[in-house]
Amino acid sequence: MDSFLGNLELGFTVALSLQNVALCFAGCLIGTLVGILPGVGPIATIAILLPLTFQVDPTGALIMLAGIYYGAQYGGSTTAILVNIPGEATSVVTTLDGHQMARQGRAGIALGIAAIGSFFAGTVATLVIAALGAPLTKLALIFGPAEYFSLMVLGLAFAVVLARGSILKAGAVIFVGLLLSTVGTDLQTGDERLTLGLIDLMDGIDFAVLAMGLFGFAEILRNLDNPETRDVVQAKIGRLLPGKEEFKQSYKPVLRGTILGGILGILPGNGAVLGPFASYTLEKKLAKDPSRFGKGAIEGVAGPESANNAGAQTAFIPLLTLGIPPNAVMALMVGAMTIHGIIPGPQVMTKTPDLFWGMIASMWLGNLMLLIINLPLIGVWVRLLKVPYRLMFPAILLFCCIGIYSINNHAGDVLLTAFFGFAGYAFYKFGFEPAPLLLGFVLGKLMEEKLRQALILSRGDFATFVTSPVSAGLLLVAFVVIVIAVLPSVRRGREEAFQE
Amino acid sequence: MSRIRAPQEAAAGLFLIALALFTFWQTSDLAIGTMRALGPGMMPKVLGSLCGICGIALIGFSLIKDGAALERWSIRGPLFILGAAIVFGLAIRPLGLFVAGPACVILGSLAARDSRLIESAIFGVAMTLFCWLLFKVLLTLPIPVAPWLLGY
Repeated sequence: MDSFLGNLELGFTVALSLQNVALCFAGCLIGTLVGILPGVGPIATIAILLPLTFQVDPTGALIMLAGIYYGAQYGGSTTAILVNIPGEATSVVTTLDGHQMARQGRAGIALGIAAIGSFFAGTVATLVIAALGAPLTKLALIFGPAEYFSLMVLGLAFAVVLARGSILKAGAVIFVGLLLSTVGTDLQTGDERLTLGLIDLMDGIDFAVLAMGLFGFAEILRNLDNPETRDVVQAKIGRLLPGKEEFKQSYKPVLRGTILGGILGILPGNGAVLGPFASYTLEKKLAKDPSRFGKGAIEGVAGPESANNAGAQTAFIPLLTLGIPPNAVMALMVGAMTIHGIIPGPQVMTKTPDLFWGMIASMWLGNLMLLIINLPLIGVWVRLLKVPYRLMFPAILLFCCIGIYSINNHAGDVLLTAFFGFAGYAFYKFGFEPAPLLLGFVLGKLMEEKLRQALILSRGDFATFVTSPVSAGLLLVAFVVIVIAVLPSVRRGREEAFQE
Repeated sequence: MSRIRAPQEAAAGLFLIALALFTFWQTSDLAIGTMRALGPGMMPKVLGSLCGICGIALIGFSLIKDGAALERWSIRGPLFILGAAIVFGLAIRPLGLFVAGPACVILGSLAARDSRLIESAIFGVAMTLFCWLLFKVLLTLPIPVAPWLLGY
């Protein structure tokens, strides 16, 4: 307990330095600003804003990035409530009741309760991370290469199961991501792999190039193909702070949502997406009058929004303790950390405690800032939502181009990103989801390394993955998850075939 | 029975098979290695095969299960958006941000059907100035601004 408080104290000393508070504030503000633009999800937001952090020291950069991440998340919820466009999967649920509330002239309260619920969830999640961080890092020490490999297999298995659409396609996309990670010079032999003889590909595909191509450029192409019907709420925003009655209705959903989201967020392979759905279902089940849901029930905003934020925070746990990103956003954080010379994993906490605890403390600070920034600025956000897309996308395009160029000051990267933009567009037309690809890409290099290490240690014996109980357990769970997900669709497919 | 019932799935499958074949062609001279010491060719070939298997399975399912039709590909969007990015990439070094910026915005704007040339020209110049202030003045990133005029 002493070390827990001591660690938090160290964290707050770092986070409360003038520079870091300013960076956290800037990150939250800019993150919300970009995240609020319809058609720009958190992944695209972080990818676009990555270059803003290049000139800052690693601790400051991570604090700012984390701020951008929360801002983008919250911006997504704002768009969901005001425009009925979910920025990403986790805010889909918010559109159901949040947008209805907005239409009834209660947009302010919906946004207010979302901010307050998120803040509460964020506070709890920060404490959980601080408490679990140290013990889980010790757990990481008993992980050998075989266990790491199996854990990543489990993460990818979850990512396949939780992806939207067909399981076969999600699996294929992950394989493509893993395949892309092998491009470049092989570290052990120095052989060039799949580089097509291009010098630009010798060091492998830059993570930011892939992410901006698939999420920055391809998103623009996608949005241009489907001109969205923006349904910006015309009704009054109304007062922001929930009244006594509304508060009474929503504090329990906030509590339940926080717990659900927090637990699901720790799961490998994007468990965080389940949080809001689970919370919404739970609230609907527990409600005395379930028919109110979908017509502007405040519980349907309070619960899922808290779950969303709790999950978004606890998703940092596998990244910070094991160095394994659980979803595409965290994969992006890995990329950002690597650019700053930090390799995520258990050694971050022991080697650079000020960075680790500073970041955790800044998480709480970031959540507080969101509350302070967003409530007064909602009027500005509403006006921003009315900017037509024909002006928005060229600006995004220019930001992306400057950003990619600045990563390595290399013009070839921009051309490569254009190629991946086209690939992302093709993927969309083929019905592939790009987020699992990014996760596969980030885990790919680490997986190959661990696989090779494990096989060297076991002298080429594949049994090493099943003789270690931890590794065997992880693989078994991965197998069971896939089988459970595949069975119904196989059965359905066969039934359809037999009906012919 | 031979009719393809899910064109999108079939196209996705064909793409995966093409990717697998491409991988095998490109890594044909890389050693697979042994179990004890995996060679550089092992992972790409295994992953390529997995992609190919998924592709074959997708095509197989597309023959027996109804699915989405193949969507129309627009030419306008990719042409102007990616064209604008390529122009930016080619122009940033020799001509600098003051040329590459407006060019990128104006060319990119053409991707939208409701774009107006004068509006996007003004917007392009304004965005470039904003980016110059943000990235060059405020964040001091080493971006060439106008080498032909200012020397940097």
